Amino acid sequence: MIEARDLYKSFGGVHAVQGVSFIARDGEITGIIGPNGAGKTTILRMIYTVLAPDSGKTLVDGIDVELDRRAAQRRLGVMPDVRGLYPRLSAREHVRYFGELHGLEAHEIERRTAELVDTLAMADFIDRRAKGFSRGQQMKVALARALVHNPHNVILDEPTNGLDVGTSRSVRELLRRFRREGRCVLLSSHIMQEVAALADRIVILSDGRVALQGTPDELRKSTGLDELEDVFMAATMAVTAERAAPAALGAVAG
Amino acid sequence: MSVVTIVFRKEMTDNLRDRRSILVALIYPLMGPLLLGLLFSFVGSMLKTEHGPGRPIEVAIAHAENAPEFIRFLEAHGVTIRPAPDDPKGAVQRDELPFALVLPERPVATGGAPLEVTVVTDPARLDSIVASGQILDILRNYERETTAARLRAKGLDPDVMTSLRVMHENVGRAANLGFMFLNMIPPFLMFTLFIGGVYLTLDATSGERERGSFEPLMINPVTRSQVLIGKLAAAVVFTLLALAVQVVAFWIMLHSIPREALGIGTLPSVLQLSLLVPVCVPLAVFAVATQLIITAVTRSIKEAQTYLGLLPLVPGMAGMVLVFVPVKVHSLLASIPTFGQTLLMGQMMRSEAVSWSLIGVSVLATLVFTLALLALGFRLYEREGILFPS
Repeated sequence: MIEARDLYKSFGGVHAVQGVSFIARDGEITGIIGPNGAGKTTILRMIYTVLAPDSGKTLVDGIDVELDRRAAQRRLGVMPDVRGLYPRLSAREHVRYFGELHGLEAHEIERRTAELVDTLAMADFIDRRAKGFSRGQQMKVALARALVHNPHNVILDEPTNGLDVGTSRSVRELLRRFRREGRCVLLSSHIMQEVAALADRIVILSDGRVALQGTPDELRKSTGLDELEDVFMAATMAVTAERAAPAALGAVAG
Repeated sequence: MSVVTIVFRKEMTDNLRDRRSILVALIYPLMGPLLLGLLFSFVGSMLKTEHGPGRPIEVAIAHAENAPEFIRFLEAHGVTIRPAPDDPKGAVQRDELPFALVLPERPVATGGAPLEVTVVTDPARLDSIVASGQILDILRNYERETTAARLRAKGLDPDVMTSLRVMHENVGRAANLGFMFLNMIPPFLMFTLFIGGVYLTLDATSGERERGSFEPLMINPVTRSQVLIGKLAAAVVFTLLALAVQVVAFWIMLHSIPREALGIGTLPSVLQLSLLVPVCVPLAVFAVATQLIITAVTRSIKEAQTYLGLLPLVPGMAGMVLVFVPVKVHSLLASIPTFGQTLLMGQMMRSEAVSWSLIGVSVLATLVFTLALLALGFRLYEREGILFPS
């Protein structure tokens, strides 16, 4: 389980995140959606331990990230937006490197690699160097190394960004499998259809605040709109309007 | 396996596959020995074949026929006489002759007025300096002997005319030409210390950021200092590898040049060379630490590269100055990182006794500076923005 409690974060004079709270439960897929620059990546970074919030806190399986960063890191598998591969290392070496940094034994890394090669269909490039990998292959390597230690909580920033239909689909299937296994999955996207197709719970962000959150049904009900895309547009525009002239449009809590 | 070891191994594997890193660590260090080797061989063969000490000297003399007695004296002292061209000064100026002697245009009577001899030289030419130096010695002998003969003919003791006899004994080592050549070596070693591991440092820090791989790396349960120590250790290994390649190449070079002609006497023994280890290892860490700071305060590989390229010039330049302006080593100088090592390496090259206490001062001072730099570097790397590509 992942929890964000009243997070604030500014960079220079820019208030990137202003009072964001939500919970991503085990056995569910939680999707964070918002227009570009809404603060999605900043929030995820505060959860996956590489940014410290100005105030508020993040919890991973009840562990306060700031108090015990390493314990939180062991329970997290993260695929950041920028895949960041080493061009001269093979896909297998990428997985091994992260496995070793997690303190796994060699045989365990081998076993996990074999599983991941199978799950992610990486057999034909697992021993090739990463230079020249397609975006789909890059994503798979980044995902495989993030999952090598079999984490209970999985965070993916824009997981299907730039992927072809087939690969996007296999990612969706994998995430559903994680849900069945009782893991906590948290992903971000700026495409509503993608989140709508997967997420049990949706957090709509706009300008660093939560505009709306809840299950898809709750969101439809609270806004009276049938299409989630319309819900998204209404919610983000409402926040923008509220900022311009602080008026009332109550956000529904999830 | 510790985190430091894991990171170290990964960086070694990764960079041993990088052509640029290999080039900088294994091929660049050969340039210095190659260049100096060519220079030394060229200078050496010039000195040996034409005007080396103890070799017959050829002298172009204008109006030689006007002082037959003088010419006989020169020939008796192993000088081969050549007729000079019509314009001896111009010939020396145009590099057609290393130097020339010009005698009076009219015949000189023996035992008469002093013989006027003009030595035309070009001090910009090494062979001119060496050869004219030898001929000046012979000229002084001629003067002494002729004067003595004239005094004896008049029944006087030649010592009457000698109130002062200057004995010149050169005991200074650095003044020697051979030592000047040897002094050229430490700046190259210094350069290699600052350039040997630079691509690894760059790739493992700025490169890691620019690729966006620093962020996923730091989500693992590790600390930044563990990761940085692993990376720096790999950079130090590459630096020392480059240095070892260069030392061996210099060693081979020094054994294959005409040392005698250059005035290079004994070469440092392997035991003396082993002193390079305490002198250079702390400096390799120091160099990598300065590289770390540069990568921490720059935003991209390109920007870091600009400064990293200039960095080795600072210690290298100091060493170059020392080639021409030798200074005496004392502990205050030895304690300046890079400068101290250049001085100590110079002493080793010249096979001088190197004091252990000065090596101790240099090691200790360099380590203190290095620790301070590392502390600063690690602090800079704790900034949160540093993980993300800018």
